[in-house]
Amino acid sequence: MAFSTETWVQAAAFLGAGFAVGFGAIGAALGEGYAAGNASRAIGKNPAMSGPILKNMLIGQAVAESAGIFALVIAMLLAFLNVEGAPMIEAWALLGSGLAMGLSAIGSGAGGGFPAAEACLGIADNPPTQGALTTNMLIGSAVSQTPAIFGMVVAFMLMFIDWSSQPLWPGWAAVLGAGLSVGLAAIGSGVGSGMPAGSATAGMARQPGAATAIRTNMLIGSAVSQTPAIFGMVVAFMLMFVDWSSAPPWPTWAALLGAGLSTGLSAIGPGIGNGFTAQEASMGIARVPESSGPVTTTMLIGQTVAQSTVIYGFLVSLILLFIPREASEAMVAWVAPLSAGICMGFGGIGPGVGEGLAAAYTVNRIARNAEGVSVLLTRVMLVGQAVSESTGIYSLIVALLLLFVI
Amino acid sequence: MNELTNIPHWYLTLGGYRLEFNSETLIMSWIVMAVIIAFGVMSTRKLAFLPGPWQTLGEVMVSAFRGLVDDALDENNRHYFPLIITVFLFIWLSNMLGVIPGLSEPTKDLNTPLAYGILGFFIAHYAGIKTKGLKAYLNEYVQPMFFMAPLNIIGELSKVVSISFRLYGNIMGGSIIILVVSDLVYGLVLPPALNAFFGLFVGTIQAFVFTMLTLVYISVQTK
Repeated sequence: MAFSTETWVQAAAFLGAGFAVGFGAIGAALGEGYAAGNASRAIGKNPAMSGPILKNMLIGQAVAESAGIFALVIAMLLAFLNVEGAPMIEAWALLGSGLAMGLSAIGSGAGGGFPAAEACLGIADNPPTQGALTTNMLIGSAVSQTPAIFGMVVAFMLMFIDWSSQPLWPGWAAVLGAGLSVGLAAIGSGVGSGMPAGSATAGMARQPGAATAIRTNMLIGSAVSQTPAIFGMVVAFMLMFVDWSSAPPWPTWAALLGAGLSTGLSAIGPGIGNGFTAQEASMGIARVPESSGPVTTTMLIGQTVAQSTVIYGFLVSLILLFIPREASEAMVAWVAPLSAGICMGFGGIGPGVGEGLAAAYTVNRIARNAEGVSVLLTRVMLVGQAVSESTGIYSLIVALLLLFVI
Repeated sequence: MNELTNIPHWYLTLGGYRLEFNSETLIMSWIVMAVIIAFGVMSTRKLAFLPGPWQTLGEVMVSAFRGLVDDALDENNRHYFPLIITVFLFIWLSNMLGVIPGLSEPTKDLNTPLAYGILGFFIAHYAGIKTKGLKAYLNEYVQPMFFMAPLNIIGELSKVVSISFRLYGNIMGGSIIILVVSDLVYGLVLPPALNAFFGLFVGTIQAFVFTMLTLVYISVQTK
């Protein structure tokens, strides 16, 4: 059976709508469930505060749901899009649009649940701080929606830019890769930027006097945890806005898809890892407010080192995008760049989380004993991170071998 | 939906090069600058022991940021305070501009956040060289091992990318979703609520995040 181009584009729009709201519903539901569960715990602890806790839970859930609502908006637009006369590449762009929005909403939805849950618990423990906790929850969960907003920006661009100037080959891989890159990269950062928001809210309930220092640290920690998602967005922009019409279709398509996967996947780990570090930093400042200087510095150093695997992923993406390839339809010519992207992408996940954990516990200890051991602990952290990064370096080496030797 | 991809341009040919300006961004930036200058003049014109309303507003802002800068920087680098508060005022007012019908945020154009990101990058590194000396500054790049130098350099450059794309993505995303929802529902309730959330709330948070990160970058370089 042969279908017209319009049918294919229409089918892709429906499929994209399904991906957008299907994936997009995962995170928000998790986050809201976590908030509701903790609201029940909070009411169990302090039944007298049940009214304010319930109200706070509903507000927190509403903000955590906004990533899901973005996904719903994109899905509706995709489902009712006018596809008349659209070129074939539009089908891939719409598919990419749905994936970008759906995947990027997972992390932000789940991350938004942490501050909502901690605010409920905090109100139960320390009722007078109620107003401050709700405000901080709103700020924290709004910040953790940022990765979903990045996904949404790319999804809109994929949907509404006229792609007819790009050739179908290898343009289809560019638009699909753009969606995958920003969507996957936002998962880790969404969860990661929710973690400090949660612990900062909990910390404020314990130590209301240090609220300003805690909130400043939370914002810095969340913002740095979003850097991996930003790499994903930058790769998506490069895939979308570079003119691929002069590149040979084979094997460029594999390189473009590989570029999207490399940064997208490798960003997941550092996003979550940076979240762990920032979480402990906010908690540490709540415990010992005087330690905020060394804690913030160590947090930033630890997060920067934990980001190195996504920087490797970004590097492999740049090589895949901008080193010209000779036209060849041989299998090796296209499998090698695609495998390089996948190898670096998956290889970056574990080290990112592991190094983030190393930094998290270092920050925790420095907060407790800033005077005595901060230099020693920072040195141990850097050595530990370097060792846990070695698997990421193996992936980088294999990716480079695949790109340049084979 | 055409507003999304339509960028108004001014062209200028200078010495054989064709320069392209985004007229909307320029005009909106000038509006923001005019507002900041007017505020500066208003709040300092008649300084008195019993402050007037404008002076009070100015004092509140200065004292709030004074504390943040004093916490982050040591005595030798506190002269960066005017820069920090100006960055905040400019970006914050830029983000607020989108709430007013007919105006748009200059920060919605990637060039504006990028300009501020690059500015902050150079100032941070200048402050680092000035405080620590060139040798100690360069030595930072070969920590913990000499072969980490390329990674450290990419890491520094990635700060510019991340700080500016974060602001751009948030503001652009907010204005897109307001545009689309207004287009879909023509409602009286939903678009204003979205404007309040993305324009006022997210705009303020992101302006603060941008300012704090600029401050932290200076603080990390000078320690």
